[in-house]
Amino acid sequence: MADLNTITQALIAGDKDQVTGLVQKAVDENVAANKILNEGLIKGMDIVGDRMQEGDMFIPEVLMSARAMSAAVAILKPLLGEDESVVTGKVVIGTAKGDMHDIGKNLVSMMLESAGFEIIDLGVDVAPEQFVQAVKDHQAQIVGLSALLTTTMPMMQTTIDALKQSGVREQVKVLIGGAPVNQEFADKIGADGYAPDAGSASKLAKQIMS
Amino acid sequence: MDQFFHRMGDGSAVQMTAKQIMADLVEGSEDAADRGKIPPLAKEEYDYLLDIFCSPHKFISVEPGREVILTYDAATLKIRRVGVHVDRIQALQIYEKIMGADTMELAHVDYSYKPVKPIATFEQPILEQALLATHIPLFYGAQPNLGLYSQPDGPFPNPSELMPMGKIKEAQESYEAALEDLVKDIVFVGSLMYESGADGINLDTAGAAGDADFLATLIATEKLKAKYPDICIEIGMAGEFVLGMHSQLTYKGERLAGMYAHQQVKMAEAAGATIFGPVSNTNTSKSAAWNLARAITFMKACGEIANIPIHPNMGMGVGGVTVNDQPPVDVVSRSSAAMTTLCRLDGL
Amino acid sequence: MAITHAHASGMGGMRVAGDLVARVQMARGMKLAQAKAYVAEKLAVDVSELTDPIVMTEVRTDLGLGVVTPLPGVPKGIEAKFNIARVLDIDINCVKRFRERTRF
Repeated sequence: MADLNTITQALIAGDKDQVTGLVQKAVDENVAANKILNEGLIKGMDIVGDRMQEGDMFIPEVLMSARAMSAAVAILKPLLGEDESVVTGKVVIGTAKGDMHDIGKNLVSMMLESAGFEIIDLGVDVAPEQFVQAVKDHQAQIVGLSALLTTTMPMMQTTIDALKQSGVREQVKVLIGGAPVNQEFADKIGADGYAPDAGSASKLAKQIMS
Repeated sequence: MDQFFHRMGDGSAVQMTAKQIMADLVEGSEDAADRGKIPPLAKEEYDYLLDIFCSPHKFISVEPGREVILTYDAATLKIRRVGVHVDRIQALQIYEKIMGADTMELAHVDYSYKPVKPIATFEQPILEQALLATHIPLFYGAQPNLGLYSQPDGPFPNPSELMPMGKIKEAQESYEAALEDLVKDIVFVGSLMYESGADGINLDTAGAAGDADFLATLIATEKLKAKYPDICIEIGMAGEFVLGMHSQLTYKGERLAGMYAHQQVKMAEAAGATIFGPVSNTNTSKSAAWNLARAITFMKACGEIANIPIHPNMGMGVGGVTVNDQPPVDVVSRSSAAMTTLCRLDGL
Repeated sequence: MAITHAHASGMGGMRVAGDLVARVQMARGMKLAQAKAYVAEKLAVDVSELTDPIVMTEVRTDLGLGVVTPLPGVPKGIEAKFNIARVLDIDINCVKRFRERTRF
C-alpha cells in the first residue's frame, strides 16, 4: 500500500531513486496522480523550502530534493488530467542586465519548478526589452529578477520601468532577489515582492498565485 | 520625546527615541535567540545596553578590573594597507609598544595557507627574527581559504560550477578531496612555524568556504595538536553560521552545516583548539542597537558553554561594529564595552 | 578601531600585564579570570594592579620582563622572554628553541 508520507520523507532526503520508485509504486496501486503530487511531493517541497529558510537545509540538499521532484513529476505528468495540470503559473526569470551571476537565480528556478511553476529562464545579463518580450510571448504571471552586484541593482528599476512603458506591468507581479537587495529596495523600485532565499521565493510566488 | 544620536549598521547617523532603541535591542536579541535556539538577553542586560546607547558620551568603557586580552589578527598587513610603509617586524613592535596589543600575529600578505606553503621557509627567518625582537605572544596566522583549491585557482573541479549543472555528488566529492589538501597545507605551514618558535598558530576566518572549510580546520587542528601537544591553536571563524556548501559533512558525529557559535566552539574544543574566536555579523540595514544586542546574545551563549577561552571577533562588520573602513569611536567603544561586560569572554 | 578597543576594554599589553595574562592563557588554556589570578600570584600583586601601568612598570623592571621604554641594560626581546618563562613558570616556545640553537 502506497504511503504518501514516505514519498514526502524520501523527497526531503533528496533520494531520487527512492522517490521515483515510490511514486511508480503508488501509480501502480492506482493512487490518483494529483493526490501523489499534492499530498506527497508538493508537501515535501514545502517542507524543504521551510527548512532552507530556517537554515536547516542547504543548497546541495535542496538541489537533490528538486531533482527528485522533477523526476517524480515526469512520471505523473502523462497521468494528470487537463484540469489537474502541474502548472501553477508561468514565471519569466533572469539576472539583470550587466550581471553574470546565475547560481541564486538557478536555485530559485528549481524551487519554483518543483512547486509546479513553468519557468522561462532567460539566463544572465538579460536586457529589459528581453523581459518585456518574454512576458508578452508566454503570457507570464510573474517576473523574477536577480542581481548579485550593487552596480546592477539599478537595472531592476529600469526593467520595471520597461514593463510599465510596454503596457504589461499590470499583468505581472515582479519579484526580486539577490545579495545586495532587500524589502526596502523592492518597495523603492516598485517591485511586488522580495525574497531573501529560494525557499521564500517559492512561497511568495505561490501566495501571489493563490 | 527625547531623541538620541544613534547609528545604523552601515555607520550612518540617525536619531532614535529610547523606546525605539529598546524595541531594536529586543528585536535583535530575539532574532539571535530564534536563529540559534538560545536564550534572549535578560531585562537588566537590555537596560544596560539602553543606558550606554542613550549616554551623551562619545566613548564608553568597561569598569576597571573587567579588561580582557586584546588580540590582533593580520595587523602586520593592516598597517601597510593604510599606506604606512614599515616592515612586518616594525609593525609588530608598533602594535606591542604603542597600540596596547596583548598578542600579535605575523602574517603574509596573501594570508592563506596555500600561498604561504611554497614560501614558508622564507617566512620562518622573519618569524624567528621577530621572536628575538618582541616581547608579547606572537602567532603565525593565515586563512584556511578552501576556495583556493578549486578551479581556476586550484586543481579540483569547482563545486559552484558543478552544482548548477545538477552534479551535486561530484560537487560534494570535490569539496571532500580539496579539504584533504587544505589539511596538509595547514599542517605543513603550522609545523614549520611552530618549530621556528611561534607562540601559537592562528587559523583565521575558518569556514569562509562553508562546512568543508571548517572541517579541514578542525582536522588540521587535531593533527597539529597530536604532533605538538603543547601547541597553542586559535580558530577564528569567518561568519556567525557555518554555510552548508557541502551540507552533509560531520565532525565527531555532528553535522557542521548550520552551526552557530555555541555549537562551533564545542567542535573547536573537540579538535584540541586552545582559543576559539566566534563571530556575529553586522546587518547594515539595522540599527547599532539591533546588531549589538544580537551579537551579544550569540556570544553570551557561546561563552556560557565554552570550556576553552573565547575571543569574539570585534573587527569591522562583526560583533556589533559597523561596516565602515573607519568604524566610529562611539559605536566601537559601546560594542567593545558591552560585549566585555555582558559576556563571559576571555579576550577580543 | 584598534585604539578604541584597547582603551575601551583591552588589558593594555606590555604597558601593564596584558601580554603575560595572554601567555598564560595560551600556554595553559586558562580562562581569563583564572589566568589573571595566576599571573597576579606569580608577580605578587593584586589582580586589580595587573592593568595599572605605574605598578606594572615597576614590577616588570624589577623582574626584567620587558618594558615599553627600554633603558640601558634592561632585558629586551628574547632576554625578557627568558625571564617571563621563569617568573610565570611556563614554557615559551621560542625560548626553548633559543636554548636548543645556542646549545645553552
